[in-house]
Amino acid sequence: MTVRASFFGRAAAAALAAAVFLPGLFAAAQQIDMNVVDQPGYQPKPEEEQLSGAYEKQEVFFRTNEAPGTIIIDTKQRFLYLVQPDNRALRYGIGVGRDGFQWSGLQKISRKQEWPDWRPPPEMIERQPYLPRFMAGGPGNPMGARALYLGQTIYRIHGTNQPQTIGHAISSGCFRLVNDDVTDLYGRVPIGTKVIIRQAVAL
Amino acid sequence: MRGAVATSGRRLGALLGIALRSTALPLAGLVAAFLAGCASQAPPAPVVTAPAIPPDALVGKWGFAAYHRDTDRPRTIKEAKSQCNRPYVIAKGPSGGVMMNMADQAELSELVLKAGPDGKTYLGPPGDAGTADDRVVLDVDPNSFTTVWVDPDNAHRYGTSVYERCGKRA
Repeated sequence: MTVRASFFGRAAAAALAAAVFLPGLFAAAQQIDMNVVDQPGYQPKPEEEQLSGAYEKQEVFFRTNEAPGTIIIDTKQRFLYLVQPDNRALRYGIGVGRDGFQWSGLQKISRKQEWPDWRPPPEMIERQPYLPRFMAGGPGNPMGARALYLGQTIYRIHGTNQPQTIGHAISSGCFRLVNDDVTDLYGRVPIGTKVIIRQAVAL
Repeated sequence: MRGAVATSGRRLGALLGIALRSTALPLAGLVAAFLAGCASQAPPAPVVTAPAIPPDALVGKWGFAAYHRDTDRPRTIKEAKSQCNRPYVIAKGPSGGVMMNMADQAELSELVLKAGPDGKTYLGPPGDAGTADDRVVLDVDPNSFTTVWVDPDNAHRYGTSVYERCGKRA
């Protein structure tokens, strides 16, 4: 079980400078799905979890009619915005569903969970039949440090033990953040928070 | 001249005597040890112990779950029991082993149960017990068993695996 992301190092390094200044352009250009399998039990090093450039958590200008505290997810650009007062938002880099697993809609956070358990979806068991059907939460769990459940759907905003997947279309429809970011977001939003999932956000 | 020859002959005799005395004791010891060994018993032959667990004990459909922290074991067992809607199926292999996945391998392999010199039962490819491709089999009863990978990396990633029998339980 290895991460096949050799392209990522060179491509990311080359585009990093542009990403800092042109995050939208950078994110839009990242339409290549990573060929990555889950790595249950893998615990990334702290430096691996340190994002840089566009996907690093940051406060940005963000004009919206949505109330402060609302979460807006831009699946195309691979950002999650937490709306702040005065046309500002906290922006987090995310990983999104791969082709065929992207969706949009309006949800509310229905449940919050620290160190959530992981149940690989059926298609993952089909590809990787050696995986346990349930893995108890904890460091190294693919669900990461925190999970925010979206309504009654099977989808969540959650952490990850694969920080290199942030900015990529990789998941089965969930939205993943690095563990520090999902822990930060978890502390900022209560159950009932409005979550808007869009293919593209008009700023 | 004759005197000199006689003197050197005596010296040679003395040297031979010392040499014989110095080798006689160790030789006698070796002979004694050899005779004693023969007299008691032959050296033990390598012992091949049959594993305590028969392969049939693992054959069947299992709810399969894993944990890393011992405090999670009780609820992981409970979760494994609830995973029988997508069981892990272990069939008997053509050579008498069991068909299971090695770590990170999507294809099934025939694995065998092996008794380790440490008294543990190992599950892995045919060959020596306790190699990196093996897992230790623990807590076996008719309804469940537990495994832990020998390879530290696999053990770290996959933790402790729990298998709970689906269907009719003993």
